[in-house]
Amino acid sequence: MAEMTTNRIPLTAPPTQAALADRAPVVREGVTLEALPEGTILHLLARPTQVAAPFADKVAAAGLDLRVVAPGQWFATAPTVMSGADLVVLSQALKPEVDVVDQSHGRVGIVLHGPLAARVLAKGTAVDLDPSAFPVGRSATTLVGHIAAHLTRVNAERFEIVVQRGFAGSLFDDLSQMSLEFARL
Amino acid sequence: MASLITCPHCGARPKEEFTVKSAALPRPSADAGEAVWFDHVYLRDNPRGAYEEYWHHTSGCRRWLVVSRNTATHEVADARDASEARP
Amino acid sequence: MTSYRLPTGGLVDRTAPLSFTFDGKALSGLAGDSLASALLANGVRLVGRSFKYHRPRGILTAGASEPNALVTVGTGGRSEPNSRATMQELYAGLVATSQNRWPSLDLDIGALNGLLWPFLGAGFYYKTFMWPGALWEKLYEPFIRKAAGLGRATYESDPDQYEKQWAHCDLLVVGAGPAGLSAALAAGRAGARVIVADEQAHAGGALLSETATIGGASAPCFAAAMVAELQSLPNVQLLTRATVFGWYDDMVFGAVERVQKHVAAPQAHRPMERLWRIVARRALLATGAEERPLVFGGNDTPGVMMAGAARTYLNRYGIAAGRKAAIFTTNDSGYALARDLEAAGVELAAIVDSRRQRPSDYRGKARLISGAIVTDARGGKSLSSIRVSHDGRTEDISVDLLAMSGGFNPVINLACHRGGRPVWSDAQGAFLAPESLAGLALAGAANAVTGIAACLADGAEAGARLAAELGFAAAPDSTPSVEDDIIAAPTAPLWSVPGSKVKAFVDFQNDVHVKDLGLAVREGYGHVELAKRYTTMGMATDQGKLSNVNAIGLLAQVRGVSPGEVGTTTFRPFYTPVSFAALAGAHHGRHFQPVRKSPMHDWAKARGATFVETGLWYRPAWFPQPGETHWRTSVDREVRNVRANVGLCDMSTLGKIEICGSDAAAFLDRVYCNPFLKLPVGKARYGLMLREDGMVYDDGTTSRIAEDRFFMTTTTAYAAGVMNHLEFCSQALWPELDMRLASATDQWAQLAVAGPKARAVLSQIVDDDISDAAFPFLAAGEVSLCGSALRGRLFRISFSGELAYELAVPAGFGPAIADAIMAAGEAHGICAYGAEALAVLRIEKGHVTHNEINGTVVPSDLGLGRMVSAKKPDFIGRAMLAREGLQAPGRAQLVGVVPLDKADAFRSGAHILAAGAETTLENDQGYITSSCFSPHVGSSIGLALVRNGAARHGEEIVIWNGLRGEITRGRLCAPVFVDPEGGRLHG
Repeated sequence: MAEMTTNRIPLTAPPTQAALADRAPVVREGVTLEALPEGTILHLLARPTQVAAPFADKVAAAGLDLRVVAPGQWFATAPTVMSGADLVVLSQALKPEVDVVDQSHGRVGIVLHGPLAARVLAKGTAVDLDPSAFPVGRSATTLVGHIAAHLTRVNAERFEIVVQRGFAGSLFDDLSQMSLEFARL
Repeated sequence: MASLITCPHCGARPKEEFTVKSAALPRPSADAGEAVWFDHVYLRDNPRGAYEEYWHHTSGCRRWLVVSRNTATHEVADARDASEARP
Repeated sequence: MTSYRLPTGGLVDRTAPLSFTFDGKALSGLAGDSLASALLANGVRLVGRSFKYHRPRGILTAGASEPNALVTVGTGGRSEPNSRATMQELYAGLVATSQNRWPSLDLDIGALNGLLWPFLGAGFYYKTFMWPGALWEKLYEPFIRKAAGLGRATYESDPDQYEKQWAHCDLLVVGAGPAGLSAALAAGRAGARVIVADEQAHAGGALLSETATIGGASAPCFAAAMVAELQSLPNVQLLTRATVFGWYDDMVFGAVERVQKHVAAPQAHRPMERLWRIVARRALLATGAEERPLVFGGNDTPGVMMAGAARTYLNRYGIAAGRKAAIFTTNDSGYALARDLEAAGVELAAIVDSRRQRPSDYRGKARLISGAIVTDARGGKSLSSIRVSHDGRTEDISVDLLAMSGGFNPVINLACHRGGRPVWSDAQGAFLAPESLAGLALAGAANAVTGIAACLADGAEAGARLAAELGFAAAPDSTPSVEDDIIAAPTAPLWSVPGSKVKAFVDFQNDVHVKDLGLAVREGYGHVELAKRYTTMGMATDQGKLSNVNAIGLLAQVRGVSPGEVGTTTFRPFYTPVSFAALAGAHHGRHFQPVRKSPMHDWAKARGATFVETGLWYRPAWFPQPGETHWRTSVDREVRNVRANVGLCDMSTLGKIEICGSDAAAFLDRVYCNPFLKLPVGKARYGLMLREDGMVYDDGTTSRIAEDRFFMTTTTAYAAGVMNHLEFCSQALWPELDMRLASATDQWAQLAVAGPKARAVLSQIVDDDISDAAFPFLAAGEVSLCGSALRGRLFRISFSGELAYELAVPAGFGPAIADAIMAAGEAHGICAYGAEALAVLRIEKGHVTHNEINGTVVPSDLGLGRMVSAKKPDFIGRAMLAREGLQAPGRAQLVGVVPLDKADAFRSGAHILAAGAETTLENDQGYITSSCFSPHVGSSIGLALVRNGAARHGEEIVIWNGLRGEITRGRLCAPVFVDPEGGRLHG
């Protein structure tokens, strides 16, 4: 297709609209709920028998964290937006073991942090969040209330939740409700 | 009905995360004939005791499993990934 | 009324009086009181009226099994009927109201039922309301409904929060009495994750009512020390005010925690109740034992009370439940009460012991009548005397409190929730838990162990054993010495007392008395499950906790068999009633179900869209413009504008699936009935998916983005189902295929730009050449947008039948790109259109949706028979589609419908009848699947599935809506109302 770059209608500001732009952080006594700014979330699809990730170094080199989603599936995440060109380079580098599907706009990050974060999450998920069962670095895809979400313990008192964009507002509001008993009076 | 299903990939999870489809039966070949296909699509045993079913970990890893459960005691004897446990 | 509170004693705070009301009367209790103890302290004995006979009833127990003292607590939206006064903690300002009485508790007209009792015996309903059937609706049902139930639920909404929580532990200990506490300590000290749940406000169980000395400390102090140690262990969680109500499969327990049921002013941000789902590797029931009532005449008179309850009111609450007491017992536990009553200075008139043998260690002053029974209790609304029968003589003794003990039933309900049956033990004279319960054990009184020392030891041993099973090295502590420990060895049960002329109640809550059970056996309902239904024993809120074993004993006696042979009814959750609010948790109101929002939601909202719920999604239905007051005006305008100019519609809710891998094409070829193997890169194709039975499942377009990558769209409604289905096919049916799937529904904002001027508009946005030659119908590919500001995917597909494109951009760019399109389209008269106009456009074009794909149609029924591949060796649905009947003549087929008179309208769902046919269902020939007003045609139009429809175009028919009484004359036609040649698509 021929490039025709004249007389284009420009994108008006702001060019992108974050899914949770209207949700202010919810600060409770011992736990805080925040929407993460738009970054990069790549869905890596390998064969389901692929247990280890031999391509982890390539992902790390691209500045992305790897999180287990399912057999043969990972999220590669970064807090910053990856350029289209870099995405193409990484996608090519990971071929043929891995197909990359960009979900940076399709998934939304929510973070829950503080000493009571696990206690709040236990109101939604049946995953045992005791550090002995769910240590730092562990991920799980699970129901949080009525919404399926991807949960990662990034440190002892900090959980990142990745959820489908269309559900993000509801999940944020549900988490806000779950943390309500710790409201600052 | 079980309260928890131990997903071979995710560990024990509540049944709410799963969707159950039907008896885990092998799909007949395309030319198996109408009688075989009719049985496959419409006829099911309803045993008291061991039963194998397809369960989908819909709100988890989204893998299809073959869950062996006892219809009388509700005990789940086994849950395997469907790709490895073809009936 | 002078106080029944003793000058000293009890665990109540005498410096903290709390005022409350009962039936409007102002009363005062103390912090630490239950509502029941506070009522007793004030001398209130008459607390409620019984269910059937409206008999005066008082407080029988001090715990969870209370059948009589049911009151409504609270007012307005917080009022809760059938609250057990024995379980309700007192708080300042508590408002309690008695139930099941009119006009007042003291003067209750319904008590006349008591005089009618010969006619109200067991099976009364079954015998009386048999016929004539015509009376059911008018007379019987209203009568039964009026008479049914105890308290009344409020119509006001509950103002409080509720929530649910999961918890995980190695060991769940149910009950924090001596056995439970020592078990939790043994396992907790060994490092196991332990949860201890107790239904009371304070842990300690029976120790809180004990006067024994344990290891030199009073029993409550000893309990407090155990609790303090438990609370110091980080691996132990103690839940009080939490009732474990059910044992479910896979070691999941349900518990309800009453977080704020005991506070005067609940805090809005905290839940009122919390529902726990506890996943435990092991569980220990240390639930204690329930004291068995004795069945004698008038045993329901207020002032007759369980002996253990009287002891709890005395020792824990500092209350004498009467001024002059007697004790009727079959075992040694009554003597513990005798000792404590005498120590507290309460006059004890007599101990009536059914046994001949006197306990050797009884040192009290009270008169002991051995080998004796109480045959009758008298006094109506308050006990005044008892009649004692011994050695052939009867004697009346004037008392206002009779404490009774018929032995103990271990509380084994939870142990039987998963199908296990209680086992009768002749040695214990009680039902015990079934043996070999995987993962669950019992300790203490629940395990038929008696005495504090033995319960402490049994609990410690069980806690250590269960922890050791899980790999925690634990050794039970040595048990402390216990002084004044009363060990009530089991005695032969006394199922009922002979010689009374008046009603002797077995089930207090359901007014089942001895004669009812005999009647049930005589009339052939002697099986325990039948007797339950026939007499209603063991039903309602207490589920027979107190009464069932006596009822079984009596059935056994009448039938001449052992109680073990009679057996028990099935124990099911819930152990005690659980509020619907707790079960719903936070999932009500706006948290009832998630709302799914398109990335264009706010954009559409800002343009004034009216939204419609479709599944979880909220979609713009139409965009009213200034001056438009009727939805049809807006929708007609949007439809006309798309046909004449151009419109923009949000299609983001369509399911979108990315399919990758070298076998992706082969996979699609198997899941669609039409061919996909050779779809060229850069092309989209309409695909039809079948179910394995040959019926159409879903449709959509799938585009080949690259040799090994496809982009599928599904209908909004079936997006999740199709994804599950594709995963099933790839994982369970054909795991050998090299392909992978990812849902990309939420990644893309997808915008349809439709209408003759669509290209003129989009060419200002899309950098690439989108002329018909460069980007023809069904072209698909990645494009550069807005001067290389962004990349998106463009599809030349059309749902409206017009020249149309769908443009997908990463979701966050949706609003900005839509703004850009609207700006580019301004000169071309662009408008935003919603789901209603979208539906009109597709009906005008005869495109099917799930209105037509109703689970009974095959492709040929929809006129899509030619799509089905005859060459592919296999695809989902191929084998069954070949069935003769699915291709036979006479099937319902898709047609169009128009009214003969353009002014007439009809609705979806209406039946199609042959012209002139009588309007009966027998004449039904099909139905309208979709209908709308078509601005293009200028009348109502519809799509319909009609028998043999494809061959009947032009035939006059009748459209009959029997529900609304509408009959419209119409005509069948081809199901395409606009541009049947399809020229506009290719414009």
